[in-house]
Amino acid sequence: MLPLTVFCALGTRLQEPIAIFSRFHDMNKSVNMPSISIWSHSRCPFLWLVLATVLLPWAALAQVGQRDSTSGFTSWLTFQAIPSMMVISHPGDIPFAFEWEATPLLYSFGMTRLVSPWYSFKVSQAARFTGSIELKATGQISTRKMGSSYFGSSAQLIGHIPLMERGEYLGLNVGVAKYAFADSSPWFKVVGVTTLFGFLEFNFKHSSDPQMWMGSIELRFF
Amino acid sequence: MTTIRPRPRHVVCTSVVAIFCFFTGCSPLVSRFTARAVDQLREPIRPVIHRNATPLHSDVGCSILWVGHATVLIQIHDKIIITDPSFTKTVGLLAKRSVEPGLDPAAITRLNAILISHLHFDHFSYGSLDMLPKQATLFVPPGAGEYTPEFGFANTIEARTWETIEEDGLRITPVPVQHFGGRYGVDVLWGPSRPWTGYVIEYQSITVFFAGDTGYNPEFFKEIGQRFHIDVALLPIAPVEPRDFMKRVHTDPAEALQAFEDLGAKIMIPIHHDTFFQGLEPEVGYAKKLMQTLIEERGMQDRVKMLTIGEQIVLK
Repeated sequence: MLPLTVFCALGTRLQEPIAIFSRFHDMNKSVNMPSISIWSHSRCPFLWLVLATVLLPWAALAQVGQRDSTSGFTSWLTFQAIPSMMVISHPGDIPFAFEWEATPLLYSFGMTRLVSPWYSFKVSQAARFTGSIELKATGQISTRKMGSSYFGSSAQLIGHIPLMERGEYLGLNVGVAKYAFADSSPWFKVVGVTTLFGFLEFNFKHSSDPQMWMGSIELRFF
Repeated sequence: MTTIRPRPRHVVCTSVVAIFCFFTGCSPLVSRFTARAVDQLREPIRPVIHRNATPLHSDVGCSILWVGHATVLIQIHDKIIITDPSFTKTVGLLAKRSVEPGLDPAAITRLNAILISHLHFDHFSYGSLDMLPKQATLFVPPGAGEYTPEFGFANTIEARTWETIEEDGLRITPVPVQHFGGRYGVDVLWGPSRPWTGYVIEYQSITVFFAGDTGYNPEFFKEIGQRFHIDVALLPIAPVEPRDFMKRVHTDPAEALQAFEDLGAKIMIPIHHDTFFQGLEPEVGYAKKLMQTLIEERGMQDRVKMLTIGEQIVLK
C-alpha cells in the first residue's frame, strides 16, 4: 500500500512545475521576452515523445505479478525513457529541454558491506542517496535550436550527501558538469537537493558566464 | 499518396489527459489511499497510555512488549530481540503515526537481534534503526542488501528461508510468508523477487514466531507449525479493507486466527493495527474491534492476548 501511495504522490507533485512552466510561457509572451514554449504546433514530435514515455511505464506496471528477470530488466529500461525537465539559459534564449541520464559509474559509501559499493547503469536508489559519487552522462533535446542544433550532451561528476533519514527524505547534491550545446562547451557548477526517496532532484547549474545557467527537475528511476 | 499527420489539437488533448492520468495514479484506489495519508498528516499524534520506561528484566523467561504496529520487543531470558522497529513520527514521508510508540528507544540498553521482515517503510525504517544499540545483529529479508544502508551494527545478515542462524544459543530461522516486494512502488518490477520473510526465534526451549506482514497461506503456516513447537505467535490483523485488494497480502482477524490454529501455537498476540492509518478502514480501531468480537465468540480469551500499545506481558 505505502509504495503505491508514494508513487502516486510523486506524480501529483509534478503537476506544479508543469503549471509553472505554462505560466512562464504566458508571462513571457506579454512582455515580448524569449519564451519557453513547449506546446506550439511545431513541437508535436516532443509531445508524442512525452506521451510515449508516460504510457510505456504503465504498460510495464501491468507486468506486476508475472515478472521474471527479463521483464524486470525491460521494465527498468522502460522507466529510463522518462525524461527529466530543464530550462537552459544561454545568450539570447531560454529554451525548455528534456534530458535523459545514464550512470556509467557510481561509488556508494553509505551501503551495507553485504553489497558491492560499485554500480554501473542500474543503480539502487539507496546506493545513490545514502552517500555516493556519481559519474553520469546526459543527453538533452531542446524545444528550440541552441546554436545550430536541438541537441546537447554532458558529462557530470556529482556527489550525493545524505541529510535526512540517510538521504531517503533529503540529500544534497554538489558537483561539476561539462556541457556541449549551443556550439560551446562550458563548465557548470552544480548544486541541488534530492528528495522523495531519491526519485526527485532539483538542481541548479551555473557557469562563469552569468547568462548561462540551467534549472532542472530530474526524475531518477534507479 | 497522402500523408496523414495527427492534428496538433488532438495531440495536445491526448497528451494532457495521459499526463493527468499518470500523475494521479490512474487508480481511484490509489487516489483514496493518498488522500487518506495526506489527510492524516494534519492529525496530532495521540499520547500513548502505557509508555514502558523499564522494558528489560533480569529474571524473566519470556516477555513481550508491543511497541506499536509490527514493532515488538521480545525478551527470552537474557536475549533481547526487536522486530521491525518503527519509532519515527512518519514513515515514507507521508504515513504519520496516529499514536506515540509505546517505548522510548533509549530504554533499550542492550539488544541481540533486530529482525526486518520486508522492505516497506513501516517495517524497515532507516531513522528508527539509527536509534538502536549497535551491538545487535541486523537480519534483513532475502535480497534486501541493495536497500540496506550501513547502520554500524555488529553484524548484518541477509536471511535465507529455512536457514537457521545461531549465535550464543539464540536460533533465528527465516520462514516463508506471503506478501509483496518493493519499497518505492515501481521497484517491485525489477527489485529482488521475494524480499519478505517471517522469523522463528528459539532460545532455551521457548519459541516465538513473528510473521511480519502476511496474507493467509495455510501451506506455509502448517509447515511452520510442523517444524517448530511455537509458544507465541505474533500475527498481523490489519489492514482489513478493501478486502479484495488486501486479501492476498494481509490477514484480517479471522484469517489471523486460522493461521494461529494452523501454526498450533499456544499464545497469539495480534499486531500491525491501530498505529498508522492503514488501508481504507471505516474507523480507527476497526481491526481491533473485529478481533475482540471473534475472540469473545470463540472463547479464546486465554489464548489470544490483545495488548495495548506499550503494554508488556510476561509469559513464563
